[in-house]
Amino acid sequence: MEIIIPKQSQIYRSLLKADFLAKWRNRRAGAVTVLLPIIILIAWKQVVKQFGGPFALSMCITFGVVAVGLMGYSNTTARDRERGVFQRLRVTPASTWNIMTSRLTVELAQIAIMTVVAFAVGYYWDKIALSPLAYLFTLVIALICGMVYLGLGQAVVGLITSAETINSVSRFLYIAIILLGALGEFGVLGKVIGDIITWSPYGTVKEILNASMQPHIWNGQAWLALLITLVYGSLFAWIGIKWFKWNT
Amino acid sequence: MENTSSGPILKVENLNVYYGSQQAVSDVSFSIEHGEIFGLLGPNGAGKTSTLSSIEGLITPQSGSIYIAGYDIQTDPVRARANMGVQLQSTSFQSELNVLEILNLYAGLYGVPLTAEKIKSILQDIQLESDAKKHFGQLSGGQQQRVSLVIATIHNPTLALLDEPTVGLDPQSRRQLWGRIEVLRGSGKSVLLTTHSMEEAEAVCNRIAIIDHGKILATNTPAGLIDQHREDPRVIKVSRGGKITLEDVFIGLTGETVRR
Repeated sequence: MEIIIPKQSQIYRSLLKADFLAKWRNRRAGAVTVLLPIIILIAWKQVVKQFGGPFALSMCITFGVVAVGLMGYSNTTARDRERGVFQRLRVTPASTWNIMTSRLTVELAQIAIMTVVAFAVGYYWDKIALSPLAYLFTLVIALICGMVYLGLGQAVVGLITSAETINSVSRFLYIAIILLGALGEFGVLGKVIGDIITWSPYGTVKEILNASMQPHIWNGQAWLALLITLVYGSLFAWIGIKWFKWNT
Repeated sequence: MENTSSGPILKVENLNVYYGSQQAVSDVSFSIEHGEIFGLLGPNGAGKTSTLSSIEGLITPQSGSIYIAGYDIQTDPVRARANMGVQLQSTSFQSELNVLEILNLYAGLYGVPLTAEKIKSILQDIQLESDAKKHFGQLSGGQQQRVSLVIATIHNPTLALLDEPTVGLDPQSRRQLWGRIEVLRGSGKSVLLTTHSMEEAEAVCNRIAIIDHGKILATNTPAGLIDQHREDPRVIKVSRGGKITLEDVFIGLTGETVRR
């Protein structure tokens, strides 16, 4: 039998199928990241009334993308690295880029699902209705925001090798980002902290999600927030790739 | 180096691997011919895994060259890896996938089409027909090793790299695995295996290299190594009297100190 040289596209399809299957088998853990924004949408009806639908919806989607990047991606990557799953894949003709791209694609799909579910719950429960363009635009922006937090998750697994420590650190970061972000946004922490949060990864992500739901108010500040979001994403990804080790 | 079926299937030349300032592999050279089972023997920390990891392309050596079926693992990794199958020391597959899904994944990674018949025949061969839906972690040690070996050879590679494949196996499973390794040799494939077991090395290897402190100390057939070192005072000193064994040669050359 002759040796077959597989195409990278064929390899990518195989990896993607396996990664989707693994994600599906882990759907209970994945559901938590989708459930949190929904619970908030349902429980915070008052926020919708007081601050408007896009504000509440963008906050929920922000919570969701932070959860996927920090609680989901970083922990799965750390666990599989510790078990030697990546090393086993790396001795096949699969390129390292293919291995990671497949995993990131699955996470982005989860973010897309979480966003669509948030749209649906927002529409049926809180009567938050957006234009078709706004839905589409928000979905694209949610994926961009997702990349920032997947980048942060990558940075965490790049800088820390122990899966146990990564689990603790990602939980801590998740709670800190959510708590500081939400409190800062409501002005509880004062103006200086509030300003810092506005331009933090939480604030810029929240800002562009909020603006994307109302494309007519997309302005200079939204462009700046998008630019800063992309810088954060690139920085986190650079850190995560530069220091990432394939084995522990 | 051009790809050639007449040359050695694996050629390692002047390999040097450092971890910081510590040298793990020092100027290691050897080659494996078609249909040959080559054993790499060494105590813990001798440089076996570093040598193997370099061949697998998992680490980049500081200097030296490695050709698999004529393809350089550093400059042409896809072709080199398509020609080799690897069984790692602690094999782990995605814990969420079952045996059938793992088979499909790795067949896809090597571009091997798997028909239902082919899958059935593989599962029959490794006696896991009724356990195809089990997850890897639910299998016994022997079953896991059979799955690992079948994955390593699913694309019918010309070279199989087996890193301590029989560790933790009961005698029956170990014998069965030796049988499978010999079937590979019978079909013209080459095998590079690392092991701590002298019995295993004598049972299946055509040639053995003893490695310690990153250097190859001796290379020969198992019988040739014994003959070559029969009169070596280091070997005589550690022999337990009577016949000189491969283990005497190994301990004579690598020392009696227990390694971590």
